[in-house]
Amino acid sequence: MVNKILIANRGEIAVRIIRACRELGIRTVAVFSEADRNALHAQIADEAICIGPAPSKDSYLNVKAILAACEVTGAQAVHPGFGFLSENADFAHMCGRCNLIFIGPDPESMELMGDKAKAKKTMKRAGVPVVPGSDGEVKSIEEAKRIAEMIGYPVMVKASAGGGGRGIRKVDSPDKLEAAIYAAKSEAGAFFGNDGIYIEKFIANPHHIEVQVLADNYGNAVYLGERDCSLQRRNQKVLEESPSMLVTPELRKRMGEISIKAVHACGYKNAGTIEYLVDENGNFYFMEMNTRIQVEHPVTELVSGIDIVKQQILIACGEKLPFKQSDITLRGHAIECRINAENPKYNFRPSPGKIESLHMPGGPGIRIDSAVYQGYTIPPYYDSMIAKLIAYAPTREEAISKMRWALAEFLVDGVDTNIDYQLEILKDKDFINAKYDIGFLDRKDFASRL
Amino acid sequence: MLVDLFKKVKKRMSDIPMPEAKTSVNIPSNLLFKCPRCQNIIFEEEFERELKICPKCGYHARITAKERLALTADEGSFKEYDANLYTLNPIDFPGYSDKIAALKKKTGLEEAVITGECTIDGQNTVIGIMDSHFMMASMGSVVGEKITRAFERATEKRLPVVLFTASGGARMQEGIVSLMQMAKTSGAVARHSDAGLLYITVMTDPTTGGVTASFASLGDIIIAEPKALIGFAGRRVIEGTIKQHLPDDFQSAEFLLEHGFVDMIVNRRDMKHVLGKLLKYHSGEVCADE
Repeated sequence: MVNKILIANRGEIAVRIIRACRELGIRTVAVFSEADRNALHAQIADEAICIGPAPSKDSYLNVKAILAACEVTGAQAVHPGFGFLSENADFAHMCGRCNLIFIGPDPESMELMGDKAKAKKTMKRAGVPVVPGSDGEVKSIEEAKRIAEMIGYPVMVKASAGGGGRGIRKVDSPDKLEAAIYAAKSEAGAFFGNDGIYIEKFIANPHHIEVQVLADNYGNAVYLGERDCSLQRRNQKVLEESPSMLVTPELRKRMGEISIKAVHACGYKNAGTIEYLVDENGNFYFMEMNTRIQVEHPVTELVSGIDIVKQQILIACGEKLPFKQSDITLRGHAIECRINAENPKYNFRPSPGKIESLHMPGGPGIRIDSAVYQGYTIPPYYDSMIAKLIAYAPTREEAISKMRWALAEFLVDGVDTNIDYQLEILKDKDFINAKYDIGFLDRKDFASRL
Repeated sequence: MLVDLFKKVKKRMSDIPMPEAKTSVNIPSNLLFKCPRCQNIIFEEEFERELKICPKCGYHARITAKERLALTADEGSFKEYDANLYTLNPIDFPGYSDKIAALKKKTGLEEAVITGECTIDGQNTVIGIMDSHFMMASMGSVVGEKITRAFERATEKRLPVVLFTASGGARMQEGIVSLMQMAKTSGAVARHSDAGLLYITVMTDPTTGGVTASFASLGDIIIAEPKALIGFAGRRVIEGTIKQHLPDDFQSAEFLLEHGFVDMIVNRRDMKHVLGKLLKYHSGEVCADE
């Protein structure tokens, strides 16, 4: 077991990890940028060390400074949290070379899962369902027609180099395919300088559902149920819950078991999340694997009773998983609302600044993971999430009602927040009836109701 | 201020004993590379991936002949010439034989240049690559002989020559023998040129002395790597002779490009592509692509 861990992150996740370390009797080293001198993580860690100026690239992404901080403080392991260096295989590799434990998977599996095409191939080979489509780029119209026919319309024509919705066409019938391919190609060529395209089945109104896994260094792996993260605004998750109302016990078992297969297929170790698109009929398709702790991990911790961050540390230190799949029982319902310093009325523009007054809710079943305090100034350099508010209750209905009260009682003065926006979601009939998919927030435009 | 109260947290926790950490971090000495030009520190592995080009200032660090060959020749196309030529100690220079023996062991090279035939982007060519890790690629009898033979074979087979030069100059341990290599190589280059064949020089850091004064400067096309040091005599010698102060960058590839001594400066990443194109343009093949 190690007795000193450096946390290469900031904000609430750094605080979350520091707390887990302290409970395990491990000393902590916080690193902070010049803009974060007064940040909570830098205040409560046993030691705190400045690693550079405010911009992330000079501080929280500065591998040299972080390795130097390990050397100076004698930390034996590094927890990367999420974002920043958490999915940087080179960093994990460097840690290994410096005889430091990287709390996460091996660099090889990070690299494999970081490459979308390779990851998809590996998953397909392991028997994990992927969105049906062409194997890589489509070379001719004839090939495209044949593949589209095989997977069934509607299909999506997508640019290989794509992003931001460019070079994408939905095709409903065979007669429209050729024109769509030419349109996607010319758009992709103009925007990305690469007109390669591939074809995928169109999944109508899917949910974004992810399975949490834990795997130790000895081939033992368990899944801790799923999280429904369909409530996203421009691909940013806003609210997550576990379990998903779409997932039946049979589907949960099937997705879980396949996720374990995926874990073994890439020799994965530590905590990870496999993201799937799930349609209304319960068909699920692999999207990607996140090789780190996730923002929304608390909802899984509440329904499973397992502290995922502690398990990450124990696994990285060579401990065996202390439970088997049969020991895992999921109980109750948890909802997480991300509280951001932003103004939904002005297109969610970030609202950094000083928190003049602050009152956070509490009571049974309410958990808050936060890094802000009264008088704290939110710097403008990093993401705007200031807290995660999580409600846990025996049923979804009770969890919703608990969350509504908690949101109502969450008082912040000095900066704008999305608390009222979250409340609008919690009051929505369709949300209450669990009728939503990944397009829900963009369609509903809750911000206009504020 | 609330922030001042956080000290209490640690104070309150101070009665809980915590084991003292034992340092286990061990940063290996070869983890980092410091750019000699701009002092930027980068990870050795990242530097390797960048083909040993400093990502901050663009300095092209010296690479071995084998690395250069791998970057330039089409995979598996290289057939080496005269791999078994080795030098004697023609003027009985003290310690020379031992030095050569040690360098052979250290670098895995027989001499400071490798020559042979290969294809570059599918174009047949004779290639020579000098390696500054072997006695700063100074030119002795073997270097001169291998380069001469390479040109003679190229003339015979009607092939172009691509030569990556790097050298500290003539090899003083071989005395006058090394000086006559300048004339010998230049003669072979002239016969190759008279046969109407293409010769491309790529001057890499550092190309100096007798090599600059002979075959390195005789290319039909003279390419240089960015910021390479190229010159004949050193700054002190010239300033001492002409009694004038020289510009700071007077022996850089960029300075020489400006003054017409170098035709083009090519980044290492683009070198193979540029060479392939130049060879194709001069091959008599119809070039449809540009």
